[in-house]
Amino acid sequence: MDEGEGAAHDAVDNATQNIAAAVTVGGQRQALTGAMLASVGIMEIPSRLTVGLAQCDCLLGEVEANVARHLAWIERARRREVDLLVFPELSLTGYRLLHLTPRVALAAGAGGAAALERLAAAAGPMAILVGFVEEDRQGVLYNSAALLRHGHPAFIHRKLYLPTYGIFQEQRFLGAGRRLELVTLPWGKAGVLICEDLWHPELARRLALGGAKLLLVPSAAPGRIGGGEVPESAESWELLTRSAALLNTCWVVYCNRVGWEEGSFYSGGSHVVRPGGELAERAPYLEEHLLIAEIDLRDADRLRWKLPLLADDRSDISGPEAAR
Amino acid sequence: MIRREQVAGRLALNAPLAVAVLTDFIRDAVATTGTEGVVVGLSGGVDSALAAALAARALGPLRVHAFVLPYRTSNPESASDACLVAKQLGIDHRLIDISPMVDPYFALEIPGDGEADRGRRGNKLARERMTILFDQAKKLGCLVLGTSNKTEILLGYSTVFGDNASSLNPLGDLYKQQIWRLATHLELPRQVVAKQPTADLWPGQTDEDELGMTYEVADEVLYLLFDLGLRPAEVVERGYEEAAVRRIVRLEQANRYKRRLMLIARLSGSAINLDQEIPRD
Repeated sequence: MDEGEGAAHDAVDNATQNIAAAVTVGGQRQALTGAMLASVGIMEIPSRLTVGLAQCDCLLGEVEANVARHLAWIERARRREVDLLVFPELSLTGYRLLHLTPRVALAAGAGGAAALERLAAAAGPMAILVGFVEEDRQGVLYNSAALLRHGHPAFIHRKLYLPTYGIFQEQRFLGAGRRLELVTLPWGKAGVLICEDLWHPELARRLALGGAKLLLVPSAAPGRIGGGEVPESAESWELLTRSAALLNTCWVVYCNRVGWEEGSFYSGGSHVVRPGGELAERAPYLEEHLLIAEIDLRDADRLRWKLPLLADDRSDISGPEAAR
Repeated sequence: MIRREQVAGRLALNAPLAVAVLTDFIRDAVATTGTEGVVVGLSGGVDSALAAALAARALGPLRVHAFVLPYRTSNPESASDACLVAKQLGIDHRLIDISPMVDPYFALEIPGDGEADRGRRGNKLARERMTILFDQAKKLGCLVLGTSNKTEILLGYSTVFGDNASSLNPLGDLYKQQIWRLATHLELPRQVVAKQPTADLWPGQTDEDELGMTYEVADEVLYLLFDLGLRPAEVVERGYEEAAVRRIVRLEQANRYKRRLMLIARLSGSAINLDQEIPRD
């Protein structure tokens, strides 16, 4: 749904789903119990949310200026009653930092970075996912995304796969994250994968097996064009996000940026994919845009009942890679 | 593996999308630097015509300032074609004859017209034009728009700090075939798009004579070597003339320095561009 269209919540449907979510605390069995309760239609927990994708340009190496821009995007999203606002990868710093990386790093630990605190305070009840360079206590720098809620960072994902090939140089300047974790949102469980993380499909699968019904994928994907009508890079990404949503029967929210850094452009085309792989919404290419989508995490459950790929998962099968 | 008859197809570009991306590039560079617009030297050839057309689309014609900079031996058609392009695009253009600036130097230092002298004289003309474009850019608060294409950059068919000098270059990742395609798409004057490419640094000069092959061959061989990473022998296997492939390999290697112009002796462990790769936005 594009800017301007309103959300059409179905109150009855919402109420029944909400019961289910209230009782659901994790695995499949509880979910079924929830579904049975939901059919009675008495309790209420939210599984529907309005997600916003801030397809923005970023100023390279200028955290303060980017904070100001984020504040403006948050205000725009608030007017649209967005519940969860996703910014692109490294949205507070720009992507191609090279030796600027240490100069823009924020210590997100105890005390918290002032920039993150300001954004969290401005967001109020809205959850926002912002990208930044994180410095840990040992001085290791990470390409991180922080989920800010209730005035502070509630969850941080450190990028696990750092591309260092072609135009990419991340391993020269950044440390790789070591943990894959779920984040519990009021609407259900979600996972965060930053850009290249999605190209390693076991991560999305593990998050989905762990209970994620929503994957948030901030990205700074350099654009390429060829003979086709849309950027070739965007076609690759959509193939990837739709496959992830199909194979893991979950929602995928992919937020890419736009703008130029040292002669390389980011093509935009941020989008939301339904569980099952159908494209729900897409932002235009090459321009800033606030994309709004209404999503219902119960749609993941509904699909999983019909298409039990996760329930049938056989991660236990031994294979030839074990001998590698 | 790619066959020769497939190469041209791989070089096909979606023209409307390419124009959208390249105009965005120019807009972004001007906005980021807070400048008024761009200046561009119009030679009468297709490269500078395309660069100017992209800039006029990106910024509006009032923010694009063209300069036509002939020397007394330049083909008069070059200047008239340049003016034709400027008029079609609706951009202002000034004609400045550079003969009075360079002739005194030629009289003192390069009086001859032999092969070596021609090269020196050609380079001098290119650098004279560069100094004028940068001066006019300073005067107008603008950036200098580059017009070098990927083919000539890779082959080193340019004058260091002359025609290869610019503040931003929208054409540097486009092979010559792609330049022609975009120029046709933007409906630039037919005589400009169709004419035999020339640096016009001396009478009768053409690019393809100097390169010793057609642009079609040069583009395809460069694409296979540079973009796809094929080895020279693998290119020859696909039916390209061995002498042409060898020549391209030699030119590409010999001219790499032109693509990385600042060579600084590293002493400190924090040398510019080696230890400290600081990006520009």
